[in-house]
Amino acid sequence: MISVNEIDLIFTEERKMSPIRRMVIAAAVSVLAIGAHAANAQDKLKIAFIPGIASDPFFLAMEKGARAAADKLGVELVWQGSASEYSPQSQMPFVDAALADDIDALILVPTDPDSLQPAVVRAEAAGIPVITVDTTVSDQAYLTAHITGDNVDGGRQAAKTLAEQIGGEGKVFIMSGSPGATTNTLREQGFREELASNFPKIEIVGREYANSQPANATSAVNTVLLNHPDLAGIFAIDGTSGTGTIAALRNNNAVGKVKLVGYDAYKAQVDALQEGVFTALVAQQPAKEAELALEYAKAKVTGEGADKIEKSVVIPNVVMTRENFAETGSSMYSE
Amino acid sequence: MDMQGKLARLKATGLRQDVVLLLLFCVMVLAFSLANPRFFSIRAMANILQDFSPVVLMATGQTFVIASRGIDLSVGSVLGLAGVSMALVIRAANEAGLDPWLAISLGLAVAVGVGVVVGLINGILITYCRLVPFVATLATMGAAAGMSLVLTGGTQIAGAPKEVILLGNATYLGALTVPVIAVFVIIAVSWAFLSRARFGRWTYAIGSNPFAARGAGIDVERHLIKLYLLSGVLAALAGAFVYFRLGSGSPLSGRGGELNAIAAAVIGGVSLLGGTGKLTGVVIGALITTAVLSGLILIGVQPNWQQIVVAALIALAVGIQGLGARGGR
Repeated sequence: MISVNEIDLIFTEERKMSPIRRMVIAAAVSVLAIGAHAANAQDKLKIAFIPGIASDPFFLAMEKGARAAADKLGVELVWQGSASEYSPQSQMPFVDAALADDIDALILVPTDPDSLQPAVVRAEAAGIPVITVDTTVSDQAYLTAHITGDNVDGGRQAAKTLAEQIGGEGKVFIMSGSPGATTNTLREQGFREELASNFPKIEIVGREYANSQPANATSAVNTVLLNHPDLAGIFAIDGTSGTGTIAALRNNNAVGKVKLVGYDAYKAQVDALQEGVFTALVAQQPAKEAELALEYAKAKVTGEGADKIEKSVVIPNVVMTRENFAETGSSMYSE
Repeated sequence: MDMQGKLARLKATGLRQDVVLLLLFCVMVLAFSLANPRFFSIRAMANILQDFSPVVLMATGQTFVIASRGIDLSVGSVLGLAGVSMALVIRAANEAGLDPWLAISLGLAVAVGVGVVVGLINGILITYCRLVPFVATLATMGAAAGMSLVLTGGTQIAGAPKEVILLGNATYLGALTVPVIAVFVIIAVSWAFLSRARFGRWTYAIGSNPFAARGAGIDVERHLIKLYLLSGVLAALAGAFVYFRLGSGSPLSGRGGELNAIAAAVIGGVSLLGGTGKLTGVVIGALITTAVLSGLILIGVQPNWQQIVVAALIALAVGIQGLGARGGR
């Protein structure tokens, strides 16, 4: 055992050390630490993947893709996320836990670009590579890569498709999900921009929020149809608002008469597309995003194929209609 | 003498919360109809009644519970859990080739079962485990919401036969669907139980003074369990009706619905201190909170302002109630 005096001595000794000697010792310690880490990594790479919210079907599809990719790459995947809500305060504990765990890389779906920045800084301090998926943080300097879906583009595609389906003129309505969800705001922005710049004869008669309740969307669309019997089209910005909108269209015998462009391609939505209730779906590619993130994470840690990493990747959206279903059907999310 | 009696009675009627609310509702309907005549139509009424149904069912349960000096925070989650359980059962039955009406009956039974189970757990936690109602139902609220996610994996459960949507949306006399008619029957029966039967008198007695109620020979525990059971079943029926309307079950349905139900009850004149509250007021309270949203969309109020208008309405209605109480004293 070391006595208190000896400890004192060690500390005095250290204070007396020259800066150069101190640096050498620090370097030696880091080399040892890295060596230990590498030895550990030889067993199996451990990669933490923190989704925005674990219970959402979009992230379930992403999880499916991540698990398949992890099996293929032979890495250990730790998938953990909040079950209750898409918000920084519910996501933070999972990020903290991952950083406290002995992980080799962190893949993160930041629920907010600024609030999750400190997590990236802490990962950097610990020397853990970070890849962001779907959304990203405000300062991307340290990130190995950021792989994003393009929500503004998705909104534009929705606008273009809906405009074609209604013949370039008439009234349309936006059924949004929630005013607090950035993905929804970006989709709406793209939708509005595209209509404003290329389709002057289309009028947006309103926008309401479902706030996670399909029944809210049903009431809103019922009321809008009452107010605008000549409504030509609806853009339902997320899954929940889509479900509620469908009920309202059925209710008013407006299926097919009112063109409906939805977002995401879960099985229930694809079924509705084939029935002709949705006239188009903007599909993202969550499984592909996850797969690429895991490949990059492995490449970054092992160094194999690290030169192939692209820092910024945008995964394109796929517009699915009944007509092009033969080519686009494979973009349906797995459940 | 006779004249004075009539006047006093008129004054008392005028100050009753439900009468005041009815006037408020009429003013609101008039204002919205003037701003947009489409508000005053059978179709608008049909929409409002469909929105109103789940809220008033939960608010009815809440009225009984609050009158007994309790609260039930689990109703929104029960709505969601009952809806998805039902959706899963009906989908499975439909895939197995069962007769659609049999599948629907089975699903309805499962939904009611969910209400019974959660209601019983609430009742037992509150009476025998001596948890305060707020905490007990906060726990079951979380558990039921979590269970919906576990059962569905977060996805919406579709796969309902056509008959489901037909049942939920086919209208009679222009505005009445089968669920809406059922809701009116349930309200009438509940009203009779609360204000014309021993069941209601006991509920108010427990809410006014649980010790005195026990002294008077009321089995307080047994009665409280029945109240939470009732609240659970009504919330489950609300879940079934939302499912009939949408043709699919969403695990997020009903989240926050408990607050709408409590708001309708409070607007309706139910005191959170227990012992009082009339169902007539609550029904109009639920009607006001649902009609106002339809009206605000029709007159083109931005959605972010809608919540604020509803909040102001709650404050206004409860404020009138406070004035009425002071004036009547």
